[in-house]
Amino acid sequence: MNKTLWIVTKFEFIRQVKKPSFWATILLIPAMVIGVFAISMLAGGKAAEPTLDENTKIVITDEAGIMPKENPMVAKVSKDEGRKKVVDGEADLYFYIPADFKDTKKVEFFHVSEGLELFNMDGQLIKVILKQALSSKYSDIEVAALTGDFEVTDNKLTKTGAESNALGKAIIPGVILVLFFFFVTLFGGRLLMTVVEEKENRISEMILTSVSAKHLIIGKIISMMMLGVIQMLALIIPLAAALVIYRDNPMVSQILSTIEIDPLAITENIILFIFSAFLTTGFLTYIGAITPTAKDASQFIGPVIIGVVFPLYFMSSFMATEPNGLVYFLTYFPLSAPTALMLRSTFGTLTTPELIIGLAEIIILSVIVIRFTVRTFQKNAINFGFAKPKLLTRSKK
Amino acid sequence: MKNIVEIKNFRMDFGNKTIIKDLSFDVRAGEIFGFLGANGSGKTTTLRALLGFYTPTSGELLIDGKPYDAEDTNVAVGYLPEERGLYRKETVMDNLIYFGELKGLKDPRGWAEKYLKRVKLEDKADLKLEKLSGGQQQKIQLGVTIMNNPKLLILDEPTKGFDPMNRRLLMEIIEEAHQKGAAIIMITHYMDEVEKLCDRAILLKDGKAHAYGTISEIKKAHNGKSLEQIFIDVYGGEDE
Repeated sequence: MNKTLWIVTKFEFIRQVKKPSFWATILLIPAMVIGVFAISMLAGGKAAEPTLDENTKIVITDEAGIMPKENPMVAKVSKDEGRKKVVDGEADLYFYIPADFKDTKKVEFFHVSEGLELFNMDGQLIKVILKQALSSKYSDIEVAALTGDFEVTDNKLTKTGAESNALGKAIIPGVILVLFFFFVTLFGGRLLMTVVEEKENRISEMILTSVSAKHLIIGKIISMMMLGVIQMLALIIPLAAALVIYRDNPMVSQILSTIEIDPLAITENIILFIFSAFLTTGFLTYIGAITPTAKDASQFIGPVIIGVVFPLYFMSSFMATEPNGLVYFLTYFPLSAPTALMLRSTFGTLTTPELIIGLAEIIILSVIVIRFTVRTFQKNAINFGFAKPKLLTRSKK
Repeated sequence: MKNIVEIKNFRMDFGNKTIIKDLSFDVRAGEIFGFLGANGSGKTTTLRALLGFYTPTSGELLIDGKPYDAEDTNVAVGYLPEERGLYRKETVMDNLIYFGELKGLKDPRGWAEKYLKRVKLEDKADLKLEKLSGGQQQKIQLGVTIMNNPKLLILDEPTKGFDPMNRRLLMEIIEEAHQKGAAIIMITHYMDEVEKLCDRAILLKDGKAHAYGTISEIKKAHNGKSLEQIFIDVYGGEDE
C-alpha cells in the first residue's frame, strides 16, 4: 500500500476506534441479536412440544418395532414408498424409524416444503407420538429412555419429489447480505461525516497540500472497510458462540441441520459485498464532497440507504423462480443493484452472465463514482457552500 | 536566482465575475515575498490556484517549473491558509503526529514535543484541539506548516488576530524558516511587517499588478512614500 494512503487509513481507523460511539454501535447490534436469540430460546423452551392436529395425515414406518402395531399411523411401507406418499399428498408428514433406532437414536422426517420456512417444528411431533404410543406398551422409565434426546433429520421435498433446501442454502448468503446492510447503515453515514468534516472544520485546505484528494478519500473508504470487518466479527463471533452453546436446543439444532453450504452463492455474495461496499460508500462520499456541512449532508443519507434497501420491499418477487421486469430493473439500477444481485444470488435465480454484467457494472460505477468524488472534493475543498458544476469544468486553454 | 514560483498571464473568472484579469510574477528561491492588496483583490484566490484548489481560467501557475501536486513535487511546501482548521476533536499531539507523518518526518512525536515547548504549549499536548484558544490553535497550525522545513512557505495572514507578544514569536519562527532557506510568500495587511521582512512585493489592484519589485523599487516609483501610504493612496476612497 502507498505510504501516504496507509498513513491516512491508519489515522482515520484509529480516530474512529477511539470513539465510544463506535463501540456503542458495534456492540449494540450483537447485544440485540443475542437478546432476540435468548428470548427465542426461552419462548422455544416453553413451547418445545408441538401439538398433534388430528387433521394432519401422518404415516410412520417403524422398522425398529417400538410402536404398538395397532397404532393407525404405523404403515407397512418402505422409506421410498412413504416418501412418495408425502409427494403425492397422501400424507402430510412421514416418519421413518430405522431398525437401529435404539442405537443411533435417529429418525428421518419427510414433508413437502418449497418455501423458506425455518422453524417447522412438525419434525418434533414424533416425540409426542412416541410418548403417547409407548405409554401403553412400556414403563415410564423405558418411555423416557426411548423418547429422550434423539435426532430428527428433516428432509424437505419439492412437489416433484426432489430434495428441497432452498432455505438451508440461503442462510449463509443471506447473512452476508444482512452484514452488507449493517455496513452501509452504520459506516456509510460515518464515512460521509468524516468527508464533510474536512470541509466544515476547514481542514481540507490545509491537508490537501500534504496529501492528494485521491489518497485522502480512498484512505477514508479503506478505513471504513476495516471498521466494517470489526463490526462483522463483533456480530459473527457472538452469533456463532450462541449457536454452539445452544446447539442442543430444538430450534438451534434445526437451524444447524438446515444450513447447507452453497459455495457458489457464498462466493458470489462475498465478492458482491466487497465491490458493493466501494460503490455505496463512493456514493455517500460524493455527497460528502458536494455538501458544506454535516447537517446538509445528513439529509441525503436516508435516500441513499432507501435506494440500497429498496429491493427488500419486493422480496416475494425476488423469491420467485422466474424473475419479473421489476427484478431485472432493480438488478441493474445503480443504487439497488448490490442488494438485488445479492438477493438473487441468495435465492439461486442469478445466472452467471447476469452476475458478470452486474459485477462489471458495480466495479465500473465504483471507479467512476470514486474518481468523480476525488475530483469534486479537490475542487470543492475550499468551496464552503454547495458544489457548483462550474467548478468541475476544465480550464479554457 | 532560481524562480521557485512562476505565475504567467493568470486569469481567474468565477461565473461572470473576473477576480484576476492578467497577473504575472515570480518568487525567487530563498526570498520573502509580500503579496499585498485590499480584501477581495484576489490574493487568496491566486495562492489557492497556485496550490491547485482552483483551475485557472487561463495562464500558468507553477511551483518549481510545474503545476503543484502534493505527492509529486521536489519542493516541500508549507501552506498556512487564511481559514484556520485542523481536527478539532483530536488531541494537539495527534494532529501534529498525523501531519508530521504525512509530511515525511522521521520522528513526528519528537518534533511535536520540541515545537510545543518552543511555543509554550507543552502542557496542552493531550488536550483536544477544540479546547485551545484561537491563538493557541493558530500556533499549532503554524507548526504544521513549517514542520517539514519547507522550501516554499505560503502564509495567508499569519499574524492575524495575534497579540504583540505572540506576533513577535511567530515572526521569529517564520524568520527561522527563512534562515533555513525557505522562500516565503506572505499575505499581510501589516505594512510594517512587509517593510521589515520582505525582499520584494506585489500590490494587486483591479485584478492586475499595480506595483511589483523590491521594496525600495516600489517606494521609489511612488516618490519614496511608505508602503502604508502607497496602499492608502492606491485604495483610497474604496470601500474594502
